[in-house]
Amino acid sequence: MRCEECATKLDRYVDRELTNTEALEVQLHLEGCPDCMDNYEFQEHLKRLVKHSCDCDTAPKAFRDKLRQMLS
Amino acid sequence: MAEPAAKTAFAEEALTHLDTLYRGALRLTHDPDAAQDLVQEAYLRALRYQHSYQAGTNMKAWLFAIMRNLFWDRFKGSRKEDVSLDDVGEFVLYEKLRDEGARPESDVLDKIAASEVVTAVDKLPPLHREVVLLVDVEGFSYKDAAETLGVPIGTIMSRLHRARQQLQKSLYDYAVESGIVHSGGMTQVPQQ
Repeated sequence: MRCEECATKLDRYVDRELTNTEALEVQLHLEGCPDCMDNYEFQEHLKRLVKHSCDCDTAPKAFRDKLRQMLS
Repeated sequence: MAEPAAKTAFAEEALTHLDTLYRGALRLTHDPDAAQDLVQEAYLRALRYQHSYQAGTNMKAWLFAIMRNLFWDRFKGSRKEDVSLDDVGEFVLYEKLRDEGARPESDVLDKIAASEVVTAVDKLPPLHREVVLLVDVEGFSYKDAAETLGVPIGTIMSRLHRARQQLQKSLYDYAVESGIVHSGGMTQVPQQ
């Protein structure tokens, strides 16, 4: 696999959306290519940053209690 | 009409997804009160139509679909045309930082506050924002996101790609404005 092909598949690799065969091909390329590995780790880091920044909001307890009351 | 025990079990399972729905509603409406109204109505509607939910399928996706459809009905009058994204071209933050000498690139991400990431997500047009919420924040597969939003998987992939580029451009602009990186020159990422 060439670096260009790896770059086009990186989003789906990070999202765990490649087939097993495709994922293995990307993994093998990453293990032998420090530049692409750097890029991959950056994309993983970015995805984690978005997740952790946005998933800290939780429903207020009073709202949860009110809903539970309404639905019971 | 569902038996009381079944209704209670359904409500209990549905409430395990409350945080996901509330976060999604908050990011879509930008208003905690409006988010609570939206989520409450979504739960009432879910309870009313629980017969259409197939046990064993993805309840989180089913509930999210109800909530976001209500959002579009209530706030957008069902008009799902989107504000177009700025044309940022092929913006790849990693390459931009590398070209500008900001190494290691990942250290730049460590300097970006969570609130700035939320602001960047909030600036995305809603049709793109909801894909980022489902895939990046809530961990939906492309297939589940496509079913939730009622669009083909290809649409999920293209919206996600464009949304991430816009997001990376917003984070880069913030990093430049706040002095984390210096546009056009070598950058020393300050250590905390």
